[in-house]
Amino acid sequence: MSAGLSQRELITFPLSPAVRAKLTTAGFLTVADLHNVKPSELSKEVGISLQEALEVVKIVTGEKRTTAAAGSTHSSVSALHLLEHEQSLPSIVTFCAQLDEALGGGVALRKVTEICGAPGVGKTQMCIQLAVDVSIPEELGGAGGEAVYIDTEGSFIIERVVDVATATADHCRRMAAQLDNSLDVDSYNFESILSGIHYFRCHDYIELLATLHTLTNFIQQHPKVKLVVVDSIAFPFRHNFDDLSLRTRLLTSMAQNCIKLATDFSLAVVLTNQMTTRFTPGLSGTQLMPALGESWGHACTVRLVLYWQDGQRHAMLYKSPSRRETTVLYQITTGGVRDVVAKAPTSRHSDSVEQDSDGSQESAPCKKQKLA
Amino acid sequence: MASKRIQRVDISKDLRDRLLRRGLTTSGDVVTKSSLELMKLSGCCGLTTDDIFHKCCLVHASKPVRAIDMLKSKDSIIRFFATSLPDLDKVLHGGLPAGTITEVAGPAGCGKTQFCMTLSVLATLPECHGGQGGAVLYIDTEGAFSARRLLEIAQCRLPDQFSDEKSLKWLASSVHIDLVQSCTALMNRLQNIEEDIITKNIKVVVLDSVASLVRKEFSSVERGMMRRTDFLLTEAALLKYIAEAFSIPIIVTNQITTRYGERPPDIHVHVEDAGDESFCGGLTAIETDGEGSYMTAALGNTWSHSVNTRLILQFLPADRRQILVAKSPVAPFTCFDFIIKDQGVVQDGIPAERFQSQISASDMDQLAAIKVAKRNVRVGRQVGLGWARLHRDLLQVFAAADCCRMLRDGRAGSWRVRFWGKNTRQIMHLTSDDVCLWMVWGILLRGSDWTPF
Repeated sequence: MSAGLSQRELITFPLSPAVRAKLTTAGFLTVADLHNVKPSELSKEVGISLQEALEVVKIVTGEKRTTAAAGSTHSSVSALHLLEHEQSLPSIVTFCAQLDEALGGGVALRKVTEICGAPGVGKTQMCIQLAVDVSIPEELGGAGGEAVYIDTEGSFIIERVVDVATATADHCRRMAAQLDNSLDVDSYNFESILSGIHYFRCHDYIELLATLHTLTNFIQQHPKVKLVVVDSIAFPFRHNFDDLSLRTRLLTSMAQNCIKLATDFSLAVVLTNQMTTRFTPGLSGTQLMPALGESWGHACTVRLVLYWQDGQRHAMLYKSPSRRETTVLYQITTGGVRDVVAKAPTSRHSDSVEQDSDGSQESAPCKKQKLA
Repeated sequence: MASKRIQRVDISKDLRDRLLRRGLTTSGDVVTKSSLELMKLSGCCGLTTDDIFHKCCLVHASKPVRAIDMLKSKDSIIRFFATSLPDLDKVLHGGLPAGTITEVAGPAGCGKTQFCMTLSVLATLPECHGGQGGAVLYIDTEGAFSARRLLEIAQCRLPDQFSDEKSLKWLASSVHIDLVQSCTALMNRLQNIEEDIITKNIKVVVLDSVASLVRKEFSSVERGMMRRTDFLLTEAALLKYIAEAFSIPIIVTNQITTRYGERPPDIHVHVEDAGDESFCGGLTAIETDGEGSYMTAALGNTWSHSVNTRLILQFLPADRRQILVAKSPVAPFTCFDFIIKDQGVVQDGIPAERFQSQISASDMDQLAAIKVAKRNVRVGRQVGLGWARLHRDLLQVFAAADCCRMLRDGRAGSWRVRFWGKNTRQIMHLTSDDVCLWMVWGILLRGSDWTPF
């Protein structure tokens, strides 16, 4: 053990102010002072209860151990290692090939993705689709995992999930038949998909915070969970908040929790956010932007904005560390999120082209899902 | 909902007293504190505070349900409240979903209250008649509810069931009306609603309307708008909680507002365009007719997020009206015709599949009709309805002389259109795209004194 560590001052440990003050007055200043001191001795010398003394010793020695361990391996990772790791991770496909392309193969594991959009544009549909798609077996290029769905708005209608799950299962069975490498996908049906979706309903922000906190335990018990959806993050945080700084603090700590979940368990976190209207003084008219303020914008690694244009649904990749910003079209069918089949210029804010009425809309759900 | 007293958390009495002294009375207070704050307040060290925090979280954390269990268990399965409009029920998987908020928006006099009253009658019917077999709580803020009309709807709808005085009395006594005149009163009412729901066996709650009070009481000064948003969201959270806790459908009505000025050419346009798409006109020629305004559901964007299902009512030419599913977790964008008759709101007789209609057009305001028609075309494109269905209204206008009939030609995308004018009879072969543009411009250029081509 290096000398530097034992010279660490006790006030840098998570000790309560009262205990800290007593330790200081009794002359315990550094880790070295507590070396080989028994809890009973400490309690007598400093004048704190036995329990408190035990806790102090635990905290100090415990931390010493972890810092020492960290010091020896020095846990930085080379980019090469990270690259290999990232490439080995499957992504969760959306079943809209263009969107998958834009996102780099789908919603990435180990990342926090935020989906913003106007009412009725398909945020919940996207979430349901992802919760179903995460179950696609690994042989077919899926993640083969389970999903945690945290619902704050009450829009999770099980009948709709059955629709999407049935369509997905059918599609996978067809794909398996095409590939013809004797895959056993008979057991893969909507029931098996549904049994892999764990649904939590939260009514206010306290429940949401608490649920997210206890999720760590839940995921340890269910290691197959590869996706955590929160639909939506905005609703509980948009009312009954007089103290905006409290809101900001809770949101940041929640974002931190999400990132921790995502990296610790190698899973994807998908949050949805609402859009709000902002009045800018001086500028005429109003602007629509994601809710929860500027600082929340930094919380998510990937941000996807869904909106309407010319009667079509567009998805814009607004922020991403690895992909360029693009705009793609998607549509929502009975079976879930799909490609817009016929033509239509992509990645453009074109305002002219009027869509032909029948063609693209009535076509069957697209089967362009690609293998990773 | 939010406050669970700290007494219920499994921590030592000593600690609990310390927290209580510091003003942390609920476990919710603990959950919102950072661990540093907790250490300061409780005077404990890191491990203990972590433990307290974790225990408080456990108290609050919701329990997971597997989706498959939701589907299987009879209790939590979402039941649907059939609206008696067959097509609407079909796309909504059986009706308005219980446990969620359904919003009915529409212009004045379009049938929002009629729709609500029809639903009230349906809800009181026994389950064998497709009802909910319970009572209705009708929160009326506009004073628009009419008991006489309620009974009329019931009598015309089920003459056998409601033939005598007694059954009518029973119906009237199972619809509970609350006249609420201010936002504070409304909030109070909602907070104390549980008692009534339990004692009176309420199966449907109607709030008619959510907009009138709010629009009256909050001024549009910026601070006022913020308070309004806060009020609405609190209301929404409360309604959602009630809906879910008792697994009942909640129906609210909303007004329509007109926005002036050009729709700004940014994302905003398209989003508004989408949420309330049918009200945005869209035909350049129409927009020049002097208004420079467009219509949208009231109460703004934030409220729109709060409702689970949004139905929009709008006028069509003649006596017909249209119901549009503008937002739903289960249904795509769809629209259906309905009419208001003695027996309340009923689906329009014209079956959706037949591309044929006859209409006398003497009493028709042409421009208004084109507006509606063009709007339907836009909506229909999103919906992906059959082409002819979309343009039927346009054709009706166009053939104002007498009537028209459309038949699908042999080839796809080609149509044979027959017009019966005052003296002439005309048959045309057209492609889908032509017809639309050509007809609109024809009418606009030629005006109302149109003669067959």
